[in-house]
Amino acid sequence: MEKLIDVKEGKYKVVDVLKHGKFKKLCNMGIFIGDIIEVIKPAPGPVIIKKGNTTIGIGCGIAMDIIVEKVE
Amino acid sequence: MEEKLIAIAGNPNTGKTTIFNALTGARQKVGNWPGVTVEKKEGFYIYKDIKFNVVDLPGTYTLTGESEDQKIAIDFLTQNKVDAVIIMVDALNLERSLYLLLLLSEFHKNIIIDLNMVDLAEKEGIEYDIQHLEKLLKIKFIKTIGNKNIGIEELKAEIYKRCKEPVSETFKFNYGMDVENIISEIESEINKLNLTYPSRFLAIKLLEKDEYFINFLKGKVDYEKIFSKIVNLEKNLNKPVDMVLIEKRYGIIHGIVREAIIEKKKELKIEITEKVDKILTHNFAGPLIFLFIMFLIFNGVFLLGEPFKNFIDLLLEKLKGLISNLNFSPYLTSLLNEGIISGVGSVISFVPNIFLFFFFFSILEDTGYMSRAAIVSDRVMHKLGLHGKSAIPLILGFGCNVPAIMGTRILENRRDKTLISLSIPFMSCSARLPVYLLFTGIFFKENQGMIIFSLYLLGIFAGILSIKIFGAVFFKGESLPLIIELPPFRMPYWKNILIEGWTRTKYFLEKAGTIIFCGTVILWFLNYFPNPYNYGTEMNFSGKLGSLISPLFKFSGFGFWQAGVALIFGIYAKELVVGTFGTLFGSENMSNMLSIYFTPVSAYSFMIMSLLYMPCIATFLVLKRETGTKWAFISFFWSLFIGWLFSTLFYQIFNFLKGG
Repeated sequence: MEKLIDVKEGKYKVVDVLKHGKFKKLCNMGIFIGDIIEVIKPAPGPVIIKKGNTTIGIGCGIAMDIIVEKVE
Repeated sequence: MEEKLIAIAGNPNTGKTTIFNALTGARQKVGNWPGVTVEKKEGFYIYKDIKFNVVDLPGTYTLTGESEDQKIAIDFLTQNKVDAVIIMVDALNLERSLYLLLLLSEFHKNIIIDLNMVDLAEKEGIEYDIQHLEKLLKIKFIKTIGNKNIGIEELKAEIYKRCKEPVSETFKFNYGMDVENIISEIESEINKLNLTYPSRFLAIKLLEKDEYFINFLKGKVDYEKIFSKIVNLEKNLNKPVDMVLIEKRYGIIHGIVREAIIEKKKELKIEITEKVDKILTHNFAGPLIFLFIMFLIFNGVFLLGEPFKNFIDLLLEKLKGLISNLNFSPYLTSLLNEGIISGVGSVISFVPNIFLFFFFFSILEDTGYMSRAAIVSDRVMHKLGLHGKSAIPLILGFGCNVPAIMGTRILENRRDKTLISLSIPFMSCSARLPVYLLFTGIFFKENQGMIIFSLYLLGIFAGILSIKIFGAVFFKGESLPLIIELPPFRMPYWKNILIEGWTRTKYFLEKAGTIIFCGTVILWFLNYFPNPYNYGTEMNFSGKLGSLISPLFKFSGFGFWQAGVALIFGIYAKELVVGTFGTLFGSENMSNMLSIYFTPVSAYSFMIMSLLYMPCIATFLVLKRETGTKWAFISFFWSLFIGWLFSTLFYQIFNFLKGG
């Protein structure tokens, strides 16, 4: 398991979000624990992910609190 | 004729504006929501025997008291008699759009779903069982492709039908027995108060610990008692209630989508948007591309606008000649020619440039590039301790500082909002363009674009400096982190672009017709009296006023009274700087006279001052409303100081390097 801010391009499963407020923000954008996301552009800078047909830019402040695990 | 009120709601990037424009066409106006400074778009259309007044609500993902946009949507829907609500749904993102539907259905029943961009969904191999969706949600779906005007007539027909025969019942869902019991208990407390917000809605907001609604209800209900019930509930559920609510809603949505979606097998292809995003948001290439795009726009504005500007100048000269031949009284002739036409006319001649500016900016918005700009800017904004979204109002400031400061409403954090509001006045707005075009046209003909671009960069530098200084002294602390949707790239919808370009230009013309018109009449009076035979000289009121302040600018290279008067009137509206010179020197002599009074160095110094000191009175008033009186005055005096400092430093250093 790694922080979203540390991962490379590829598919990952959202395992946890460390802060409640940030978790709510993700939920408002339709991203939940257990969702499979694709990292299109990793850090440095905002991480760009794709879930389904939605592409979202996530700043470093949130990306460092999202825990993911690689999906083969 | 009967009238009905329709609201269009939905997530951002679902095509709300396109559908709004398709319904109302040019029959729309832009204003402000009452009591706040978020832009309000309203229009109308007539269908059969009814006039439909349409309001385009701000795009939101959810409905909380977190931001002004969301509060506006909630207040409008709960406090007005809205006959029908159209919820815009992006056919590619049904799940997320349905989340907003669930929230809205808690307090509004007469809903139509506009399933937009169905062509893009088809390309992705997504198909919906619309009949099943309608059965599950008890809501009518209308398929549209907004930018091709497809489905609009069907939408109008459904709106008409719904207004004639409103539904009283729609999709119902509950949050589970434990949560529903608490909601009922809280509802019964709130029901006693007879508030305009639905009591179930308020009860849910309390469960979500929405600070805005908690403050709204404090003192009206026994909040401590309610809070202890919430704490007990969370102990039973073993998680925060707001998460339970969100999970329940998405559980319902997942179920609906699973039943109703028929997703065909997608062909393997690499998304163009993804490929382009890798370049546009690249850590190194991204900012360079952003700056390059800005540079192209600024040069395009001047090159393409020039022939039209020259044509308008010619027409104004003809008009002056005509008035001179009509043998009006000397006062009236002078007022018309030297006052109004010289003053207002010299500003109106820049309308082609203004239109082109907003035209190109709208293209950036419509194609989806703006959110990429926010991503690219986040690294820089983060270093300034700000949210990446802060870049958006800053960028808007290049169009006009007034809506840009209003646009800081998208920032949820007061700290970010205030800091950005204080730096936006340094973003070189379109009102300063006439000043640059005038001076660069005389002194820097061969490098006009480059010189003006340098001023924009200087403004950005001054803005960053302000953020750093005020942030370190007054606003220590963290900003909210960035999370922003990147819509797919799309071809710009030219109807939207033209309407947007025209709406903004109309606003500029209205300003020219009102504020600037009044300013030029006052200025003419100050120039004409008490000595009409010495128009625009030091012997008149304007000259005395300019003489008072001109010594301040001696070391900036423009310590003469005419420059002082121009700067004074520039506070009223920045375009009046040009209008003032036009009135003082006469528009046909203006270039010659400016060449006598200025040198290239002092001209650039004057442009620095025009760039940096308070943009206009409208900016001051909006700042006062958004940040408070204290910060508005701080901004005013700070901008005067920075403008004077930078222009003086530039003039003195440049002359020193030149050898005095």
